[in-house]
Amino acid sequence: MSEFKSGFFVGGENCNGRVLIVDDEPDIRKVVRMTLQKAGYEVLEAENGEKAIETINSGENRLLLDIIICDIRMPKVNGIEAIAYFRQNYPRVPLIVLTGFPDTDMATSLLRQGVVDYLVKPVEGEKLRAAVGRAMEQRELAPL
Amino acid sequence: MIKVSETGPENDRAGRSVSCPSPPATGTPMTDRKGVMLIESTAPTKVAILGAGRGGTALLDLLHQIRTIEVVGIADRDPRAPGLQRARELHIPVLPHTADVIAHQDVQLIMDVTGDPGMEQILRDRVSPNVEVLSGPASRILWELVQHEARLQAELLHAEKLAGIGSFAAGIAHDINNPLQLILGLAENLTEEEDLKIIHDQAKEIVEAVKRTTAICRDLTSYSRRASSHHDSLVDVNAKLDDALKIARYAVAFHDVTVKKTYAVASTVKGNPDELLHVFVNLITNAVQAMERGGTLTVGSVKTPEGVEIRVSDTGCGIPPELLGQIFEPFFTTKPPGKGTGLGLYNIKHVVHQMNGTVSVESQPGVGSTFTITFPPIYRD
Repeated sequence: MSEFKSGFFVGGENCNGRVLIVDDEPDIRKVVRMTLQKAGYEVLEAENGEKAIETINSGENRLLLDIIICDIRMPKVNGIEAIAYFRQNYPRVPLIVLTGFPDTDMATSLLRQGVVDYLVKPVEGEKLRAAVGRAMEQRELAPL
Repeated sequence: MIKVSETGPENDRAGRSVSCPSPPATGTPMTDRKGVMLIESTAPTKVAILGAGRGGTALLDLLHQIRTIEVVGIADRDPRAPGLQRARELHIPVLPHTADVIAHQDVQLIMDVTGDPGMEQILRDRVSPNVEVLSGPASRILWELVQHEARLQAELLHAEKLAGIGSFAAGIAHDINNPLQLILGLAENLTEEEDLKIIHDQAKEIVEAVKRTTAICRDLTSYSRRASSHHDSLVDVNAKLDDALKIARYAVAFHDVTVKKTYAVASTVKGNPDELLHVFVNLITNAVQAMERGGTLTVGSVKTPEGVEIRVSDTGCGIPPELLGQIFEPFFTTKPPGKGTGLGLYNIKHVVHQMNGTVSVESQPGVGSTFTITFPPIYRD
């Protein structure tokens, strides 16, 4: 199993960035973690929007979280509500949607709200890493 | 269009509880085309049926649902005719001989569906002149119409079911694409993995994920097929409720909904298993949809002296008292266009009546709703 890398290394050569995956399915969180850790990312997990908001508001994550990958259909606070919160309170953090149910209208609306990518499950590891890589570039360009 | 209220006055106190009995009570208020209340003052027409084969059975099923008709008896030469069994289930008198029908004191109309060419003449000779007789070609046309009506009802049920399956798309996509993501991720990893233990474990995970995905197709295939034949069978209510809970999850997300099951041991009813599954899926879906912000769904069965009761309760938004009387009417819906056919509860009522059951609802806005279906005890020869 994987282990968290300390935030101490964030930005260092051992860590390409800190990513939060928000999905109610443990299997998805596990696969995303596996895929991104191989590419040198530190991965945090949240099982719904409520937990994701708690995570981003806790400790150093406020400053050091680089990217959020978020599902839509989730209990408690769902993806749409969570994304609205992140856009309002953490506009510097790029958001990637990873959903099991492609919906063109929703995709358009989310991209308008500033979501940087809309991925439909199942997504290949290479595509996911490429999307995260692109988002990282945007994150670096975003004003702090 | 004349609209007939399904509400019986007996259960409408405080406007919070409505039952939908079968057969419906007579003398029910009606509204005319201008919405003016009419009181149906005429007593029901008393009808006797001759012939209890397929035609007689279908006619019986139809007539006993019509509030302006009272079936006073049915007869057939063959004591094993299916319509006689059906009549007993419906508590309609089974008359031993044709002569008993002819001599019946109350009968106003005799419907001959024996198919026997000689019967028309017998009836013409023997039936008192103040009793109407429907026989020969006229009764054959009626039989055709009854068959047609039965086919339309079956089509309607199926159409509504298919319309409902459209709303399963999000649930199905969720339940298929999530395991697919797991399978893809693990398979990609396996192409590079060298640790034999990890390879072994992840291959097993892939196998399990594939099994979960195939279960989805199996559930949905059994649900979407056309209701099998008209043969009723003994149905284990608890198992059907469990199946319905699985299928309803495709139609609606159970996020933040706690499911409580209160099953009585060995609850069995007589009915069409496919149609019963459809009824339960509909009730459970409605209940979960009523709890947008979560709540408790209670699904239960109770054995009572009157038979078996099946209850589906939610702690959701409830139904306003002014709408309670309309919810079982066809095309009544409170959902936005494209979200509901308005045929769900209408079909539930129809299916339950077909199985000699009753359906009732109790609801309080802001507190929740309980739908109760009652099936009579199983009749045994």
